[in-house]
Amino acid sequence: MMIKIPAKVLIVDDEKDFVEMFSLRLEKQGEKVSTAHSGREALEVLEHEPIDVVILDIRMPGMDGIDTLRQIKKRYPIVEVILLTGHGSTETAVEGMKLGAFDYLMKPADFEEIKIKLENARKRKDEQEERIRQAEVRLLIRRSGDI
Amino acid sequence: MNNRNDHKANLLLVDDEDGFRTTIAKRLGKRGFVPMQAVSGESCLDVMARNPVDVVVLDVKMPGMSGMDTLKAIKQSYQKVQVILLTGNVAVSDGIQGIKFGAFDYLTKPVEIDHLVNKINQAFEMTRLEEEKQKELVYRARLEKKMVDTERLVSLGTLSTGIAHEINNPLAIINESAGFMQQVINSPEMSGFAQKEALLMGIGKIEKSVKRARRITHQLLGHVKKQDTQFSEVHLAALLSETLGLLKKELEDKQITIDWKIDKAKNKLWSDPYQIRQVLMNLLNNAVHAVKKNGAITLTTCETDDAVTLEIKDNGIGIAKENLGRIFDPFFTTKTFDEGTGLGLFVVHKILSGLNGQIKVESTLGEGSAFMIKLPKNGR
Repeated sequence: MMIKIPAKVLIVDDEKDFVEMFSLRLEKQGEKVSTAHSGREALEVLEHEPIDVVILDIRMPGMDGIDTLRQIKKRYPIVEVILLTGHGSTETAVEGMKLGAFDYLMKPADFEEIKIKLENARKRKDEQEERIRQAEVRLLIRRSGDI
Repeated sequence: MNNRNDHKANLLLVDDEDGFRTTIAKRLGKRGFVPMQAVSGESCLDVMARNPVDVVVLDVKMPGMSGMDTLKAIKQSYQKVQVILLTGNVAVSDGIQGIKFGAFDYLTKPVEIDHLVNKINQAFEMTRLEEEKQKELVYRARLEKKMVDTERLVSLGTLSTGIAHEINNPLAIINESAGFMQQVINSPEMSGFAQKEALLMGIGKIEKSVKRARRITHQLLGHVKKQDTQFSEVHLAALLSETLGLLKKELEDKQITIDWKIDKAKNKLWSDPYQIRQVLMNLLNNAVHAVKKNGAITLTTCETDDAVTLEIKDNGIGIAKENLGRIFDPFFTTKTFDEGTGLGLFVVHKILSGLNGQIKVESTLGEGSAFMIKLPKNGR
């Protein structure tokens, strides 16, 4: 079996009980979890900790999920975001995906589904980082070739 | 006023004096009325029990059952019948008394025949008006019930989606808590724990119940009016094929015949394809559930200048008469909880109201059901 590399996950939801249990579960699963209870708190965490995937509730008082998503994508474009919605309207979720979210989940979500989406989101971020790294290498080589 | 009127209204003449009665009957006959006749209060009621009567001309002074008692008896059993009293000329108070008991009017003997004919015509007119009023009332009551039904469903819809939404958050907490406990119990350090299986079974039941509740909340929320409903050209036949494709397995399992009576090139309308697909899905799903093995579902459309009507008809179990009025209510179902949530038709009704459509149902228990949905072609 492959050794699992923990994903660095940030859970953002104003439902404190949900955040608590969900993070325990993800930690038990082997992920490295940070938590935040508002959009602002989430941005603070992102400022200080490296995060791969943000799991973000759409409906929060104050700065809502979509606003938070915009800020995250503006400041940390390669951080992947999975939206959580308790709301039936998938429209907001779709809007979120147009703004760059990786995917969305309906609450209460099936843990298997969460695992798969989380894994895929992390993979996409890794691949993106890898492409950026390679591009940087090519840039470096070309520059040194120029000299 | 037209005396030789052609109304088939039924007139009954009641008087114990044969001479008077037959004379009046003859004279009335000349003016187009052919009255039935009765010689006493008792025989009057007897005639009325066997024949439809609209207007009674009733003598007050009769041996046996008096005119006044006869009037009371008539008004008690036949509220719609109009009674004209004939009183002696010294007994005006009888006439007034009679009106108090519900008589249409009174005339004093000796009777002026034109005067009587006039009164009879007025009485007939009154029965006609009363009947119209009655019809109007019934119609109004029906209309009001329909409006109340629709409003009730709409407000129930708003309420239930609100509740569903609020319930999802605690459900998610329950779900994660149970899931976490399961992880802990399944971890290696718990392997020696004696009650492990019992705990896992309990957690399994929590998770199963969360899934069940989730199915309900998600279905309730699934039809929440999208903020920006996307209208586009909808090909009803194409949508039907697509939806049937999703039900392929069920159709094959039951070997159901689909009988297309639809011109596939026609039946285009301007509407929201996603919501219509949801409607078709729910209705076809119900039809599939309703039929037995080798059952048949017939799809028929009918197109007018401004609307398309689709009929989805099955030869399945049908709907009991007493349930027909409740099938669009949320959570009304005759199925067990894992077969249906009782929200399918409720959602259908809600979507169609939102799309300015209509739905009608005809069903016979044991023979099948037909759902007719009508949608405007231009979305309005």
